[in-house]
Amino acid sequence: MEIIIFKLAIILSILIFLISRLYQIYWVYLVQIIIIAVSSLWAIQCLFISDSSFEIPLMTFMGSPLLIVIDKLSAFFILVINFTMMTGSIYAKGYLKPYLENKSKLEMAFHLFNLLWLHISMLFVVMFRDALSFLIIWEIMSLSSFFLVIFENDKKETIKIGIKYLIQMHIGVVFILLAFIIAAVQSGSEFSFDGLSVYFASHNPFFIFLLFFMGFGIKAGFIPLHSWLPHAHPAAPSHVSGIMSGVMIKLGIYGILRVLTYIHHDLFYIGLFILVISLISGLIGVSMAIVQHDVKKLLAYHSIENIGIIGIGIGLGVIGIAVKIPILAVLGFAGGILHILNHSLFKSLLFFTAGSVYKQTHTRNIEDLGGLIKKMPKTAIFFLLGALAISGLPPFNGFISEFLIYSGMFKSLQVGDLFTDIVLLFSFTGLAIIGGLAVFCFTKVFSIIFLGNPRTEKVEHATEISSSMFIPYYMIGFMIIAIGLAPVIFIQPIGAIVNIFVGNTSAIEQVIPTLNNISISSAIFIVMIGILFFLRALQQKNQTIKQQATWGCAYKGANAGLHQYTATSYADNFGQLAKQLVNVKKDFKEFGKEEIFPEKREFETHSSDIFENNLITKPSDFVIKWFEKLAVFQTGKIQHYLLYSLVFLIVVFLLTFLNWI
Amino acid sequence: MLSIIFIIISAIFIPGVIAKIKSKIGGRRMPSVFQPLFDIIRLFKKGAIYSPTTSIIFKIAPIIYFSSVLMAAFFVPMAGQQGLLSFDVDFVFFAYLLALGKFMMIISAMDTGSGFEGMGANREALYSMLVEPAFFVLVGTLALFTQNSSFQDLYVNLHTSTQLSIIIGIAALYVITYISMVENSRMPIDDPKTHLELTMVHEVMILDNSGFDLAIIHIASWLKFAIYGTIISNFVVQSSWPIYIQIVSYLLIQMGYASTIGILESFSARNKMGKNPQWIIMLSAIAVVTFLTTLIITQKIILN
Amino acid sequence: MTYLFIILYAITLVYFALSERVKKFIWLLAIQGIILFGIVFYSLNEIEIFDFIFILLETIIVKSLLIPSFLNKVRKHNQLKREDEPSIPVFYSIIVVVISILISFLLSNYLNDIHLHTQYFTISFASVIFGIYFIIIHKNIYSHLVGYLIIENGIFLLSLAVGNVMPLMVNLAVLLDVFMGVLVLGIFINRIGDTFNSVKLDQISKLKD
Repeated sequence: MEIIIFKLAIILSILIFLISRLYQIYWVYLVQIIIIAVSSLWAIQCLFISDSSFEIPLMTFMGSPLLIVIDKLSAFFILVINFTMMTGSIYAKGYLKPYLENKSKLEMAFHLFNLLWLHISMLFVVMFRDALSFLIIWEIMSLSSFFLVIFENDKKETIKIGIKYLIQMHIGVVFILLAFIIAAVQSGSEFSFDGLSVYFASHNPFFIFLLFFMGFGIKAGFIPLHSWLPHAHPAAPSHVSGIMSGVMIKLGIYGILRVLTYIHHDLFYIGLFILVISLISGLIGVSMAIVQHDVKKLLAYHSIENIGIIGIGIGLGVIGIAVKIPILAVLGFAGGILHILNHSLFKSLLFFTAGSVYKQTHTRNIEDLGGLIKKMPKTAIFFLLGALAISGLPPFNGFISEFLIYSGMFKSLQVGDLFTDIVLLFSFTGLAIIGGLAVFCFTKVFSIIFLGNPRTEKVEHATEISSSMFIPYYMIGFMIIAIGLAPVIFIQPIGAIVNIFVGNTSAIEQVIPTLNNISISSAIFIVMIGILFFLRALQQKNQTIKQQATWGCAYKGANAGLHQYTATSYADNFGQLAKQLVNVKKDFKEFGKEEIFPEKREFETHSSDIFENNLITKPSDFVIKWFEKLAVFQTGKIQHYLLYSLVFLIVVFLLTFLNWI
Repeated sequence: MLSIIFIIISAIFIPGVIAKIKSKIGGRRMPSVFQPLFDIIRLFKKGAIYSPTTSIIFKIAPIIYFSSVLMAAFFVPMAGQQGLLSFDVDFVFFAYLLALGKFMMIISAMDTGSGFEGMGANREALYSMLVEPAFFVLVGTLALFTQNSSFQDLYVNLHTSTQLSIIIGIAALYVITYISMVENSRMPIDDPKTHLELTMVHEVMILDNSGFDLAIIHIASWLKFAIYGTIISNFVVQSSWPIYIQIVSYLLIQMGYASTIGILESFSARNKMGKNPQWIIMLSAIAVVTFLTTLIITQKIILN
Repeated sequence: MTYLFIILYAITLVYFALSERVKKFIWLLAIQGIILFGIVFYSLNEIEIFDFIFILLETIIVKSLLIPSFLNKVRKHNQLKREDEPSIPVFYSIIVVVISILISFLLSNYLNDIHLHTQYFTISFASVIFGIYFIIIHKNIYSHLVGYLIIENGIFLLSLAVGNVMPLMVNLAVLLDVFMGVLVLGIFINRIGDTFNSVKLDQISKLKD
């Protein structure tokens, strides 16, 4: 019964083209509510109520029935996707309002149609098992996100970035398709995910897993496959960036997890591979994030880092299964999967708040901002919430997932053998450094955007955003605090998902008392803060509170905005340490020796992505250079083309005559 | 319960002892041991001055910083007695609580819009990031001996073999003393006595705080000293000793710790600011070497 | 107890990577000599009095007293700069030293030969590798001498690893190596310093003629 409602909703989505611009967004809400209700019903049924997966036939596709299969992993992803899409579209209503005057009805309708289809295709990606339909719906997902990214197509750069994004997605599809074909052909099984289990049972899984990893890794954004991320996310409008960073890149992780459910032996090197790539992604991602000026590019690099953290959890989980340390396996997977949910929450919150800042100040360059907390206090507080959560600080949700991964690592140090212990040493050192760098980066971003004095006049006209855009903030903020303060509620369904991989759920029970203790400690912490506020109010009641300017060493000459630290100087400290990696180039003209009264100078810094430079720009420049040489043949005159065909005919005739072909 | 009481007691005395030792070595007249306490009481009687550039962050940050340090103190065990709160792998919660406090202090320093405080905030962020791995690797070394990894269990299992605890204890002692110097912004990372902003890290971040806020920031830094002193003393004080010997030796070690800090501060010069990161990463390197040697001791690396 | 000395020796290697002052190099060499004495003391099963005096002589007197004072004299005579900056940032050198210690520990784990005392092999190999790395990154002949001495310390430990009783011949050979190296290079540096006024490597290579 529900499937008919679902199909109806999908058909309704096409009708959006008929509605006027002002009411299109409400039609989107209508369709989305139906889709969310039906899919969440299935997901909750699978995750909480029944104990196994179930199948629903969707339609007949090319002769055979197309099934929707929902198991616990799919159910989890369905809930994550639904929540973020919901907050995203509520945010989109307020964000798209300024565009309503400039864009035509068709453009807006097309954009919202793609938003709906992104939602629908993401849901189907986690529900299809047959390889052909999976690949088709994956393709639809890439296409719809492409159209969403190039929304602001009056800027030429945006279209170029969109096309780069589309090409990279297609390369990913090639890898996945290749992997499916090789598996199906070599094992004679059906062309679907379930067919993989037959292949993996009899062959070494590493090679096919590698192919799948390359394909899904391009979507997820592991280094070195990440080059599209830092360009596509800033170019897209903020609600799209939030959704893409929040859930779409997680579908790459979904693909890797789905493939992992079928592999049951030879897991050590797979786990080690995932772990090493994730550690590298985490460290390099956050290092590059530190030196960016564009706030959305910075957040995009942070997504790479968090995908790295998820990968560390999953890699450790797989290693735990391989070396038979159950606690490592369970806690690694639990931490990684919980971080999927956590990251979708705080990353979408950060993108939405950054989008609000952009909407009000029309600049993404953080060096132009400052002191925004006085003009947009609520946005600032929610950005701070997101920043604290993403740095993994208690009592919020980021801490819980990192805590689970740390627990797994420290509790298995004693029972591991030598190689495992060395791997664990590198992992927890890496995770500690990643956490520290995240704190460094977010103190910088939050302080430069919101605190201090305004640096340019772009801040003058900023006001607080409209109230409808606050609703997603409150929803996401509530979830962040809920998971942080009461993680035990969320750990049960995650334990059920971990069970798919590990097969032994009792280990997750061990960690419940610890999580309860964390909740109690967080509660005590909050109470203590309250008591201190009360004490301070008591003490300051009888005292004089004065206002006086910040101490500037008695120097009154400078403009207040110029006298403070800039983002570049904050990041320079770290940029010196990681010089080879982040490649920060400084452009300025030195003072000459005879210049007694110096003239005005400009100072610019640029950082470039060394992976993108060496893996993409250099080879493609090389190839283009050679192709330009070949372009000599394209003269444009039809006589030359007829000459080419004549030559071809003569050559074919000669070769046939000489019996060579 | 016992541990938090003694941490608070040592927190009151440690800064006084450090000041006394430094002035004695410097040939000056010694202030009273209670002088820092008198300073705090004086601050509590004063009002506050806030800058109009600052926002609500500046008002809430010192309170969150102090709460995080006090909360972290609840977890530290003292010689076999567990802390007020204790659970599995609680040292991660401990470390991240301290990181939360630092985060809030850094953004409150940037909130003032002053270039000096920005400088201090920037350096503080970098140094605390570099010193995190050292702490985690050291605790990882202790976790190699046991599967129950609460703070208290780690120490209890270390003391099961005296030869072990001497070897690891000496290396760990060295590293933790220097970690505490970095965390409290003392020599050779930062000079608490110079008020030249170009050379400060922590002192410059609190330039604009006053009154109640400044008082609790000072108390928090004393508590941090006491916490690290307790962590150090746990390597030496065994849980099998009778309780009064434990308490006496604990207090003696705290005095020794304070005197060592005083002596180290009087005789060493501050590093050149640009050399600080490499000095801090040296601590992590020594911690990793200790970890590797512990792998030999627990016979995962098989040698003959 | 040997493990304590292994940790201490590894810590001196880390300090070698960290420090840039020439005086500190000499000081660290002296400490390494004392640590080597500790290792030998705790590990010899039976000690003949003659062997014991010989080892005492070699480690404490030669490595910790004679050579450092000689190096000090050379340093003062040539008025060397206080600091000697390496060509690779110190940050990365520290990471290299830790990785070389890690590799050397792992290597000694996999070499499970009955004839080897792999306990000492651990840091001896790291010492040799680090000594070579030290010579590569510093550009001053004086620092090259210090690196050479670090390698010699590593070889001393290696000689412990392959024998139960300290063979006299090996020790004599090592001692001779050290003497010749230090003496020749020391005199060399003095002479060059006198004639040339600088001991920087790039300027000396111009001597190629």
